[in-house]
Amino acid sequence: MLTLIARRLLQLPLVLAAVFALTLTLAWAIPGNPLDNPDGRRPPPEVQAALLAQYRLDSFWSFASSYAARASGTAYAWDAMTGELAREAAHAAGLGQAPPMRRVFDLGPSLQYRDRAVNEIIGAAMPVSITLGLAAIGIALVVGLTAGVIGAVRPGTLADHVTLGVALIGISLPTFVTATLLALVFCVWLAWFPVGGWGGVRPMVMPALALSLPFAAYIARLTRMGMIEQLGADYIRTARAKGLPESRVILRHALKNAFLPVLSYLGPASAMAMTGSFVVERVFSVPGMGQHFVSAVQNKDLFLIIGVVLVFSTMLILLNLLVDVLYRWVDPRIE
Amino acid sequence: MMRLILVVGAVVLLGLLSMAGPAAQPRADFVFINRGDVTTLDLALVSFMQDQRVARLLYEGLTRQDVFSKAHAPVPGVALRWDVSDDQRVYTFHLRDDARWSNGDSVTAGHFVWSWRRSMLPDYAGDYSSKLYLIRGAEAFARWRHRRLAEFAARADVTGDARHDAAMALWRETLEAFDQMVGVRAVDDRTLVVELERPTPYFIDLTSFPIYFPMYEPLVSAYERVDPQTARLRSRPDWTKPPALITNGPFRLVTWDFKREMRLEANTHWHGRDRLAISSVAMPTIEEPNAQVLAYVTGAVDYVTDVLPAYRGDMIAAKNAFYNEHKDLVASLRREGLDSVEIDRRLPPDPRAHIHAMPAFGTYFYNFNCRPTLGDGRPNPFADARVRRAFALAVDREAISAGVRRIGEPAAATLIPPGSIAGYASPAGLRTDPDAARALLAQAGFPQGRGLPTIEILFSPDGGHDLIAQSIARDWTRELGVDVALRTRETKVFREDLKSGRYMVCRSGWFGDYGDPTTFLDINRTGEGHNDRGYANPAYDALLDAAQNETDTSARLAILSRAEAMIVEEELPLFPIFHYAQIYLFDAHRVSGITPHPRQVQYLDLVDMLGDGVGPDVPKTMRP
Repeated sequence: MLTLIARRLLQLPLVLAAVFALTLTLAWAIPGNPLDNPDGRRPPPEVQAALLAQYRLDSFWSFASSYAARASGTAYAWDAMTGELAREAAHAAGLGQAPPMRRVFDLGPSLQYRDRAVNEIIGAAMPVSITLGLAAIGIALVVGLTAGVIGAVRPGTLADHVTLGVALIGISLPTFVTATLLALVFCVWLAWFPVGGWGGVRPMVMPALALSLPFAAYIARLTRMGMIEQLGADYIRTARAKGLPESRVILRHALKNAFLPVLSYLGPASAMAMTGSFVVERVFSVPGMGQHFVSAVQNKDLFLIIGVVLVFSTMLILLNLLVDVLYRWVDPRIE
Repeated sequence: MMRLILVVGAVVLLGLLSMAGPAAQPRADFVFINRGDVTTLDLALVSFMQDQRVARLLYEGLTRQDVFSKAHAPVPGVALRWDVSDDQRVYTFHLRDDARWSNGDSVTAGHFVWSWRRSMLPDYAGDYSSKLYLIRGAEAFARWRHRRLAEFAARADVTGDARHDAAMALWRETLEAFDQMVGVRAVDDRTLVVELERPTPYFIDLTSFPIYFPMYEPLVSAYERVDPQTARLRSRPDWTKPPALITNGPFRLVTWDFKREMRLEANTHWHGRDRLAISSVAMPTIEEPNAQVLAYVTGAVDYVTDVLPAYRGDMIAAKNAFYNEHKDLVASLRREGLDSVEIDRRLPPDPRAHIHAMPAFGTYFYNFNCRPTLGDGRPNPFADARVRRAFALAVDREAISAGVRRIGEPAAATLIPPGSIAGYASPAGLRTDPDAARALLAQAGFPQGRGLPTIEILFSPDGGHDLIAQSIARDWTRELGVDVALRTRETKVFREDLKSGRYMVCRSGWFGDYGDPTTFLDINRTGEGHNDRGYANPAYDALLDAAQNETDTSARLAILSRAEAMIVEEELPLFPIFHYAQIYLFDAHRVSGITPHPRQVQYLDLVDMLGDGVGPDVPKTMRP
């Protein structure tokens, strides 16, 4: 187990370096001037050129190397070691000026939101996406397991057909349809929840529900399939023959084994729920990470594009690692 | 099994726990959706409409605009009064004694000098920095600093402490250069003297524009330093966020949660505090157009500044139907000369009336590429003004504004929206005339369109430009017999093609910044940074120069009207299609203080929630 963790953590920087190289190359190829404001006035050309140079946007290699040095923390470590950090701070203090803002892992400034650093933007948005994703997975587990077990215990009955049908709809309907419908019914017609915003439980219920639907549906189908398979197995017949109560047979014996596929699905599902909530975020005005994925590309906000991709990649890798570890812990047979 | 239950339990628990968090704050007195989130509150960089709207709530310039007067007259802000020298080049502003920052400090003339210096520096390169170049020597100073910075950057041999020192020396030199070169000085704390490059009748108007607002020097300078590597001034952006930010306007910034909400509260130190009828303002970030309307419908917000969903045309049609039900009353209210918001207020309350298509200070037009050759080197038929005029004459603009846009935007014959600038008489412009168009085209050597290459219309994919392009293409094919191809480019590519002249005809538009025709007419000057048409006409430039040197107001406006006629009647480097409307959502029976003036500058500190018992509760209406 420890070697697994160590190996994955050692791989992390390599994977991130590859992700960085690929993202930068693609983002750099987006045509257009990232400092160009579509509604705004243009500063004189020579000033625009100087601005590009200031952000090192005038040369691919200069941008790539300076970004890599600052984002990886090597620039900070180097400046700390050579005493440059202390010298800058002392120099600024001597003049009564603010010392430069130095972060260990500095993802740079946002070109679109001139008053924000990428670290700050991601720092504000990531907890929101994680919270929303966790809530959605929590709802999906409760709903999906219940529906799956009900369907499996009484296969072919009305209850089974209804849960299967709802699950099919949940998987096939795109989120922008279900989210909009939920918003219309629960936020506008019934007015039980606010149409948008963040903070407290009420604004989170609808987006979490909308986000959970496809996951709940998939979990329901996985559970139902696994349960039907397990309920036909010999050991279940033995358990029933022993005279165990049916609830104990289903929950204790069958569900235990039927749950393993669900558990392995939970890893990628949690990652997807935390990172793939763009549509839900947009419909319910949730200030998460998903919006930055899209708007940063549209604005060619290079720092933000790369920063968001790097942080997402790190999250994905760590989540997958966590699931692998949990999986082994739950089912020690797996090597 | 225990382990399994633990894992599932933990996930569910985490999910449910994550739902608990701090609850939302109580509702503010006035809640509005300000497009997306604000991008910056650094006045040197403010450019987007939503940033300007908030800047006007947080800061106050030397003057404000009386947005409920037809003349859009300047009224005192921080300056109580101002004197203008006989040659109209020196302005002396007398600042009010009770102008205060939100921390209680006095607003001084020195703060204006300091802020203007900072905003004109190429170090920050704000979109609007060139608006400060009206001040004597400002442009020369900015160029000087730019040149010196470039020289400094080239000196790679200087490193370490020596580079720090050299950067600081350049900064000290810059401060001296500013004092010597730029014509603005604080005579004392209450007196600010500004010398202009040349007489500029709209200078007072511009002092109400955010780039001319003051920043609190002790705050901003504490977050600013000279970067030893580049010698540029660099700001740590955290000064624009609460609790740091200190401003001098009607409101102060309380919270600014990125992409969530911005909250303002009345600035108790503001001299006009007693006039405020609302004491808190909230701006939630809701970006999805449909969600914005839903937020309004459910009562979560009082005002939406840009109504964008595709169904807004239907909403306006519904309002017209409502007007039709009260036809006689509407007609008589219009005869009384009431403004559009006041008319809604006199009609019975109806949710259909909450949408408002207000005339805006901008025009949608098509650019002709005027350069002798096209981007790919082919000869450009549109270099000939007769061809441009012929194509403009063939377009049915009414069909576009009434049939395609459907949101009450008037078809345009001029570049400047008529009636938006007091005292300015708009030229008549062209009327659609296909016969004249064909005759002109023949005269130019292309009878029945023969000899013309396929005409390419360039536009960006979003915003319904495709439908407009189709309508224009149909007119040109039918009336002129030419082949038309539609070419879509993603917005960023589109803008690059536009700037570098890689197009034949393309969609475009312009919004004015200040109350003078030059805010529109300057974009056609030879070599001007926004002259995407590559239009170069010495006669036109001469007219603008003549206006610049004319000190008599009405004579000057007459010259500018001739210049506009040259653009929209004879030369047609661009042809106007419709004047934009700004689509608002608010209930006129509940909210007062939003002006229908075509300049569309909103001072939202004027907002009064009618019938709440706070403030005068008397609707503000347009005065002659």
